[in-house]
Amino acid sequence: MSRVNLKQICALVLLASLACTTLSCAVASSNELYFGKTTPPERNILRYVTGDEPETLDPAVSDGQPEARIYMALYEGLVEYDPKTLEPIPALATHWSANNDSSEFKFYLRRNGRWSNGDPIDANDFVYSIRRALSKDTASRTAGLASYIKYAKAYNAGEVFVRDPGNGKFLLAKDFDEEMAPEPLSGSALDPAKGEYQATAEESQPPADSAFHQSLHTPLRLTLPGDEKTRTKVLNGAPKLKEAVTGKEFVPVRAEDIGVEAIDQYTVRYSLTLPAPFFVGMLAHQLFRLVPRKVIEKYGAQWAQAEHIVTCGPFKVKTWKPYDTLVVERDPMYWDTATVKLDEIHFYPMADNPSIMNVYKVGEIDAVLNHTVPNAWLHVVREKKDYMDAVEAAIDYLMINTTKPPMSDVRVRRAFNMAIDKQAWATWRKIVKPLTAFTPTRIFHNYPQPEGDAFNPDEARKLLGEAGFPVTKNGDGSYSCPKFPVDQVEYIYNTQESNKAMAEWMQAQWKQNLGITVTLRNMDWKTFLVTKDKLEYKGFARGAWGADYMDPFTFLGIFYSEDSGTGWHDPKYVSLLDEANRTLDHKKRYELLAEAESYMLKAQPVIPLDTASVNWVKKPYVKGMYPNPASLYPWKYVYIERDQAKWDSGTPSLAE
Amino acid sequence: MVRFIIRRLLITIPTILVVITITWGLIKLAPGNFYSGEKRLPPAIEKNIREKYGLDKPWYQQYGKTMWNIVRHLDFGTSLRYEGQSVNTIIQRSLPVSAAVGILAYLLALVVGITIGSIAALKQNSRWDYASMALAMLGISIPNFVLGPILVLVFSLTLYWLPPSRWGGFPSWNLILPVITLSAIYMAYIARLTRAGMLEVLRSDYIRTARAKGLSEKDVIIKHALRGGLMPVVSFTGPTLAFLLTGTVVVERIFSLPGLGNYFIQASLNRDEPLIIGIVAFIAIALLIMNLLVDIVYAYLDPRVRYQ
Repeated sequence: MSRVNLKQICALVLLASLACTTLSCAVASSNELYFGKTTPPERNILRYVTGDEPETLDPAVSDGQPEARIYMALYEGLVEYDPKTLEPIPALATHWSANNDSSEFKFYLRRNGRWSNGDPIDANDFVYSIRRALSKDTASRTAGLASYIKYAKAYNAGEVFVRDPGNGKFLLAKDFDEEMAPEPLSGSALDPAKGEYQATAEESQPPADSAFHQSLHTPLRLTLPGDEKTRTKVLNGAPKLKEAVTGKEFVPVRAEDIGVEAIDQYTVRYSLTLPAPFFVGMLAHQLFRLVPRKVIEKYGAQWAQAEHIVTCGPFKVKTWKPYDTLVVERDPMYWDTATVKLDEIHFYPMADNPSIMNVYKVGEIDAVLNHTVPNAWLHVVREKKDYMDAVEAAIDYLMINTTKPPMSDVRVRRAFNMAIDKQAWATWRKIVKPLTAFTPTRIFHNYPQPEGDAFNPDEARKLLGEAGFPVTKNGDGSYSCPKFPVDQVEYIYNTQESNKAMAEWMQAQWKQNLGITVTLRNMDWKTFLVTKDKLEYKGFARGAWGADYMDPFTFLGIFYSEDSGTGWHDPKYVSLLDEANRTLDHKKRYELLAEAESYMLKAQPVIPLDTASVNWVKKPYVKGMYPNPASLYPWKYVYIERDQAKWDSGTPSLAE
Repeated sequence: MVRFIIRRLLITIPTILVVITITWGLIKLAPGNFYSGEKRLPPAIEKNIREKYGLDKPWYQQYGKTMWNIVRHLDFGTSLRYEGQSVNTIIQRSLPVSAAVGILAYLLALVVGITIGSIAALKQNSRWDYASMALAMLGISIPNFVLGPILVLVFSLTLYWLPPSRWGGFPSWNLILPVITLSAIYMAYIARLTRAGMLEVLRSDYIRTARAKGLSEKDVIIKHALRGGLMPVVSFTGPTLAFLLTGTVVVERIFSLPGLGNYFIQASLNRDEPLIIGIVAFIAIALLIMNLLVDIVYAYLDPRVRYQ
């Protein structure tokens, strides 16, 4: 090799090491107060990354959180989320009232609500929007959230009522379901003397009751599948029902049967099948936000494209370049436009976390979505004053396939749970809080959250021994469990760097504490979902869950259905939840929910790991945007603060 | 020549249909659906979605409908994931982004690659030769997912000179880093191909003849040597340019560019059937046409090549 060549190589090595030095300098320069530039945008705009390209601007279709944040700018419903607590605050409804058992709600609309094209908003818009959201043609993924509303679920599933052609009467659900809860007030005849509602100023002169309302105030009607094949199957399984149905006619459940009524131009009433004290809180969800009837009827599936769209929120669409930028601007027609502080919000669709953080650092965007700071960056970014450190209404856990041995044995499941040191996990993961229960910690106020089994490797080994897999201690202090069928247990996760790290961490814990090496297997997201849902995995699957609404039931309800991904379904658990939801007293209800949670934890269909953290960053000049536990922001309160003295320094407090 | 072109074009059509059929089959075999998510949907809601998009129909009806729309109207349908957006519109919108980055990167690669390669060949075994080939080796061995972030780190995050990612329109500063990242490896390949091609040609008889009849060295190189020496580069250009035009997954991802490659990877992960088929068909067409063009250019550059 000639000397020249050698010199050349030396130069290259020098160049490479220079690049590496710059790299480490850039990452480790932790003497700055904030992460990157802090020059506010010249105009009064917020530049935000809410996640990948939005699926659609139609709020009834998409179930994603990135989309939800966009919908909060464009659409409004009866209520909006409080920026800090996420409790429902008045939006298009100025106030509301519930009947005595929270099975019926009345909402009083403001008179100055307007669409972005200037049309007035009234109660009929709400009736239309919910009917459309539940229609089969819309095929909403979140339609299940409306299932508390009378006949909403039946309409969405295309079911039928059963009517006696002789007397015109419908068959009732309670006659065929012995375990059904007693009818709530909304399902019994109206009796003004009982005073179902507290008297309000508006109702000193109550309006004449409608025939529709009276028809709703009867016991719940029986509904059967609309599709003949499925119906025959159901009927064949229930002889009593089959006999009762003979000679009757099937009447499809119509949109008009859903328990939503415009009492007058500015009052709308929701009748529910069950008491649901948390119902008002659910109404801020995108499924319940208003959509424009005229535009939808005119343009069909194209209505939510930028050239046609009409909205009702604080902002309206200005331009939309898919996979580039969605610009929304303040809507002068909005009823509260004086409160709206930003002129525009620019939503940039981005998916790659390091790229998002880069754009943030150079100051091209002002805030990012939750879960954006990569693990490897945390030690730097967490120290900065613009890092948002707060708990999230979300948990990480492992699902266990309880249908396949050896994990079908509860002792084995408990042993694997007790062999994981969650405190150490939380320390390693830096930002999460350890969790032994299935509801996130410190999210639901006054909820008496139960505790699951704590880290206890001795007890874990004992339990495994009892299950027939004795753990022996080796000479070097390590353990082994030769009888355990390691080929029958594996850990599946969807391909992602952080999931891999988590899987390896759990694998090491089991190896260390039980002497069992669990095989890890990664797969792409959609394959993972199928494998988990169909219980095609053996052993463990990564799980994560975020709240749909602010109530413990949004977590506990996972095991209410049979598709929890674990195969565990227990009638006693279901009846405990039912009982809780029927309970009007808030404190008592929480106690019953906690009892159900405790019962579920004992069966250990899951291994809870941690309460997640919101983990995002925003520039100090972005004010009015709080790290609330659902990462949903009512944009009208957000503004750009140019006075440096008023900038945020650290995570803004969520206390009211 | 004309017959050759017509014949090649005619073969293209069945090829594309086969490609579409295979793609369709692979999507159907892949587990999961465009609508599945962390939260499992209740069966009734899943049924509504399947009915809305015709997924409840038997496979031959779904296949027939897809193919009919493509053959009859050149319509790839509407994206399942991005409601209301037609696949054709998505391709029309994202192609210019990919093409801008791809063509610029390839032009840069050609200019720099051919220059470096020629110098290396003309000054064989000199320090110039070693230096340029070492550089080319480095270009080939550093993958773009390493080079991209390093460039971003230096020029965006440390020096704050250039935007780290996102599309800024054409032309804009945002183009510089993705173009350099994308072109590095091609630059290196082209340099090596040029060098090898030139070295071979420089030793051939017709160069000796050219020199013998007294042509200036400049004429020998530019008129004769370069023309022959670039043959390997030309055949490399066809498929490469097709790939560059239709988007490069990694670079578009790193720099969050709204190009075809980004859509393609997302569509695959989302199981967005019409969009996947549309993009695959488009890439196949681009590839076949580029190859045809290469063959035509070949015939022009090298008199020995003649098509029947």
